[in-house]
Amino acid sequence: MQINKPTRVLLAKTGLDGHWRGVSLVARCLRDAGFEVIMIGMSQPDEILQAAIDEDPDLVGLSVGGHVDVVHRIIEGLQADRPELPIFVGGAVAPWAKRQIEDRGVEVYPPGSSLDDIAEAACRLTGVNDRARQNEPSV
Amino acid sequence: MTDAKEWATVSGIPLKEYYSAEDLPDALERRVGQRPGDRPFVRGAYAGMYRTKPWRIFQLSGYGNPEAEGERIRFLLDHGETGFIMEHDRNTADHLYDVDHPEVVARKEDIGLNGAVICGVRDYETVLKGIPIEEVYGHPGGGVVQHGPFALACYWTVARRRGLDLARLPGTGQSDFFLTYLGCVTKQQVSTRVGLRFNADIIEFCAEHLPRWVPVSIAGYNGAETGLNSYQELAAVFGNAIEYLDEIKRRGRIPLEVAARGAGGVNFRVGMDLFEDIAKLRASRRMWSRLLETRYGITDEKAQRLRIHSLTAGSAMTYPQPLNNIVRGTIMALAGVLGGTQSLGVSGYDEAMSIPSEHAHQTSLRIQQILQEESNLCAVADPLGGAYFIESLTESLEDKAWEFLAQIEEQGGFLATLDSGWLHAQAHENQHNEQVEADSGRRAVVGLNRFSEDCSPYQIDGFEGSTGEWENAKARLDDVRTQRSAKDAIAALKELEAACRSDGNVMPAMMAAVDADVTLGEIGNVCRDVFGDWETPIGV
Repeated sequence: MQINKPTRVLLAKTGLDGHWRGVSLVARCLRDAGFEVIMIGMSQPDEILQAAIDEDPDLVGLSVGGHVDVVHRIIEGLQADRPELPIFVGGAVAPWAKRQIEDRGVEVYPPGSSLDDIAEAACRLTGVNDRARQNEPSV
Repeated sequence: MTDAKEWATVSGIPLKEYYSAEDLPDALERRVGQRPGDRPFVRGAYAGMYRTKPWRIFQLSGYGNPEAEGERIRFLLDHGETGFIMEHDRNTADHLYDVDHPEVVARKEDIGLNGAVICGVRDYETVLKGIPIEEVYGHPGGGVVQHGPFALACYWTVARRRGLDLARLPGTGQSDFFLTYLGCVTKQQVSTRVGLRFNADIIEFCAEHLPRWVPVSIAGYNGAETGLNSYQELAAVFGNAIEYLDEIKRRGRIPLEVAARGAGGVNFRVGMDLFEDIAKLRASRRMWSRLLETRYGITDEKAQRLRIHSLTAGSAMTYPQPLNNIVRGTIMALAGVLGGTQSLGVSGYDEAMSIPSEHAHQTSLRIQQILQEESNLCAVADPLGGAYFIESLTESLEDKAWEFLAQIEEQGGFLATLDSGWLHAQAHENQHNEQVEADSGRRAVVGLNRFSEDCSPYQIDGFEGSTGEWENAKARLDDVRTQRSAKDAIAALKELEAACRSDGNVMPAMMAAVDADVTLGEIGNVCRDVFGDWETPIGV
């Protein structure tokens, strides 16, 4: 029998806007899909970078409630510290800002994205194959 | 899918193929005999309704800096808005931070994105320049409870400096528990008990000094947008009102019916289930009237008359094919009008992307104006009154709302449901189910889960806002700190702290503090020192 380390996703809110609906739906969906979710809430860019080291996640999800330039700074920091660490972004990101983030090779999930698409992206980005999702309750 | 579709409202109330006389509630005959403006106001808060007074066109507005915010408000007023709402930068306002607070400095670029940075009364003067606040109904911001006393004190101080009589000033506060503790939990905030104290202080202060002002506005909208369904929203709004009235009663400083008049200005979300939302607004008025009479023995007609602001569901606005949202805004607005709202805001068609562009704002206004002026909707009050379906649905929603209110009371009351996270859990479950319904296609969202091919010739890119606002706000803050009398500001802050630590009303000291150019963050420091932080029941 082989025991695998659970696949960990770090979720952070980049801004000081407290709306939690989007990020909490994503957290639940990832937990249902078998991921271990570390939710650090509203965090400063440096706090997110530190958590990405301390928590050793396999994926970082940024919930954006502010300006895209803050997201750029965080992505640059994460990519400098751990170039192999995949990142995805969600939230009310305007199309012009979405294009900028996607130009960095980071996927963006705007309002209305389906939970299945988000869970699948998490599996794909972390290299978890469908085997890990077998216990997922069907939705 | 071979299963027969189960027809129901969005809140899960089963729907029949058609309704007839046998579906009418027992009380209907009596109700049809009532006129709009008659107690218990199911058919409308006022006789005559929109013939006498069209609903107020009342849009959220503001971004960047005080000049930009004032400019957008004047733009809207010039284009036919009949009241105005000041939006604040969430980073600073919701947390009571000055722009040089480390949390804000860490993300300078976010500043001003969804409202102007307002550091103090001088910034209020800039926003309000050229706006006749003695005539135009205004909302100075203060959506979250810790921000309410500051925002109101600043606005009222501007009025005083203009020599206006506060007793005649029209407008509304908000200080909403749903936003503060349910929908938009912030990093640092006062506890629900302190929030209750602030709101009761505002209600008392208005009873004494600002009788025309709506002191606080319970915003069911924020509960609904966080996931509460229609009857849960109704119940929670009145559960919240009960907390206010019980507190005012306990204090015994002002007559309860005066407080009830103030607390009877509320807001509701109007969403995409047209008939359920019409029924919700009708049911709400009767619930309020009954609640005051049976629970508090308040028979004053003015107090029993619930006045409603409706806001279209931002969450219904889709990211893809945004022009479709103009139609959604119209349908949701119609629910508000047919339900007898006193005031209405329509979300921008770019809501899912950003705060509204000028064009999106103008389009929201035009939706309201077409409804108000072209559609003959103002001619007849409660036009759906007596309809078998509407009357039946009004009754069903009200019954379910009373049941949910009983559950809230079993939990120890509205505040207890926020402190324990019970209400969050209810909301979260609904959020999840709504999302799954849309993901599976069982709930249709045109342009998202069906008909997703877009042939629009327009690229809607979302509003970009302005940049460099942190530097701009920091310069204004520095000016205030160097130009004000330091001695007066320190003395006013000490008075404020003493008022916060006392059992007395915090508002007189808050008025004196903002008048002495005390800043938002300095007031926040007092709140943090005296009241500490709320223990958040959710991990975000």
